[in-house]
Amino acid sequence: MILFALLLFGVVAVNVAVLRAHVAVSRLDDERAKLESRNQELASSLSAVDSAPRIEAAARRLGLIQASEGNTSYLDLTAGGR
Amino acid sequence: MKTRVVNSRLRLLLLLILVTFAALGARAAWIQTVRAPSLAAMAQTQAKKAIVLPAGRGTIYDRLGNPLAIGQEAIDVDADPMQIADPRREARIAARVLGIPFRPLYRQLSDRSRGFVYVRRKAPPRLAAALEKRHLVGFTFAPDQKRVYPQQTVAASVLGYAGTDNIGLAGLEQQLDGRLKGTPGSAVVVRDALGQAVNTIQQRPARDGRDVFLTLDSHIQANAEQVLENTVREWHAKDATAIVIDPKTGAILAMAQEPGYNANAYPAATTRNITADHAVTDVFEPGSVFKVVTIGGALSQHDITPNTPIRVPGSLHVADRVIHDAERHGFETLKVKQILQRSSNIGTDIIAARYLGESGLKRWMYRFGFGRRTGIELPKESRGLMPSYWSGSTIGTVPIGQGVSVTAIQLASVYAAIANDGEWVQPHLVHRVAGEPPVRPRRRRILDRGADVQLRTMLKGVVSDQGTAELAAIPGYAVAGKTGTAQKPGPNGYIPGAYVATFVGMVPASRPRLVVLVTIDEPHGQIYGGLVAAPAFEQIASFDLQYLEVPPDLRIR
Repeated sequence: MILFALLLFGVVAVNVAVLRAHVAVSRLDDERAKLESRNQELASSLSAVDSAPRIEAAARRLGLIQASEGNTSYLDLTAGGR
Repeated sequence: MKTRVVNSRLRLLLLLILVTFAALGARAAWIQTVRAPSLAAMAQTQAKKAIVLPAGRGTIYDRLGNPLAIGQEAIDVDADPMQIADPRREARIAARVLGIPFRPLYRQLSDRSRGFVYVRRKAPPRLAAALEKRHLVGFTFAPDQKRVYPQQTVAASVLGYAGTDNIGLAGLEQQLDGRLKGTPGSAVVVRDALGQAVNTIQQRPARDGRDVFLTLDSHIQANAEQVLENTVREWHAKDATAIVIDPKTGAILAMAQEPGYNANAYPAATTRNITADHAVTDVFEPGSVFKVVTIGGALSQHDITPNTPIRVPGSLHVADRVIHDAERHGFETLKVKQILQRSSNIGTDIIAARYLGESGLKRWMYRFGFGRRTGIELPKESRGLMPSYWSGSTIGTVPIGQGVSVTAIQLASVYAAIANDGEWVQPHLVHRVAGEPPVRPRRRRILDRGADVQLRTMLKGVVSDQGTAELAAIPGYAVAGKTGTAQKPGPNGYIPGAYVATFVGMVPASRPRLVVLVTIDEPHGQIYGGLVAAPAFEQIASFDLQYLEVPPDLRIR
């Protein structure tokens, strides 16, 4: 009788553990989906913030202008170059 | 006496109870046996519902890894009106939480003849979660994806659009739909008697679509769009197109057009008819930019050199047509390089007639890729229009880019071939698709070795004070290019006052890193490619050279 009770308890305990694992997996799945979704949202926001028209408009508001090609200096570092 | 009455009443009560139980038993037996299969099936459909698990659509990145088209999580909220007892209350709550009009929703939820209605498709997850917490009977929440174009107007016509069902409807979204869309999965949602989802049994997992990495550079693209916007405004033009291409690889760094639109508002833009990729779908008479085909062909055949003298009359009769140059002149002797530099129609026609003829010109046009698609990864690419019938005057019009129609991408790829030592490289927008090897563009030799250098040298003369495109000059860099000013054909001949101004150039001319094409459709005030399109080229190329840190090939004084 005691053995039967122990076996029964063991089966119940295993079932509870499996159930808990299922719940944990489900919760982690949800979390993963949420993180992926958040990641996409952030990537999208970053791309929007990084877009050239936005940066250009912001720069213009600050009074900045595009450097003209004549104002860009290049150093020739090849042998003998100056 | 009294006892007998009581007993008979008890017996009657007992009989009633027995009859009731018998009736219940018979009903139970009827339900359990005769009605069992149909009721079980009904219960099954009410408790379980098969749903499609959407596949994540692949992200489209530019060459720097900036997402240009990305999928964002969204929730499809639907309802089963048959399960809704108080449609007014539920419609009021759902309308308030989801921010949608109450009346249409109430009408939908009241219609008990339907077992499924969409409450809101692609709802923001935050709003859907808020509604889910209200535990409304009969409401279901299914995951979905919404396509977002975070840079809005940048490369809108190239990217195209993926619609409500995440199917590509235009542009790269349409052309690459098979790779981007992935494979949806399936699952069964088990609901309780109140319609609440209690379990989701996944049957087939969704397989996400593949990411696509483009050759486009969002900064070069955005700058080209900005320059076109300013140019169209300045010349009150109808529209404009620009292409920036790396001649060595055929990689397209920018494909811009004006008017542009916000890619997230594609459906509204279609009503304005501005969503087509003009650079690949529209054809136009190229005018003088086409002269490189005639002169390049004759150079490649070694019939002429840049210094070959040609006697050029003031006008030239070709069958029933009289060909003139833009500037009136008498008989003069011009070298081939001067013919290209001054864009002489008569000189070019003489070269065509003397060294190529009809068959030679046809052969060279085909070799340069006109009359066939480039194979760029965009839908509805036009082949261009070659003359179907060669009359006596055709040999006087085609060599100078009249009576023939080309796409901007065909023209840009031809100049890229001249810049790339005479080898044509297929222009392409896709660098690679995730999980696949990088794209290997087709290559073929167009010009004989040496002819490309001669052509480039001659085209440098065009961007000088002696040529037609002085305004295309960039301090510190040698620019080679060609202007074109062509009248637009209509159903009844050429349209008076309607022109397409073009400039195609390569820079630095000594070792070209970029080929930039600009076409301005129907400019007003000025019509010439050298005055309208060349400055736009200069602005686009100047920015790109700095941005790509291309060192100058000339000394700045």
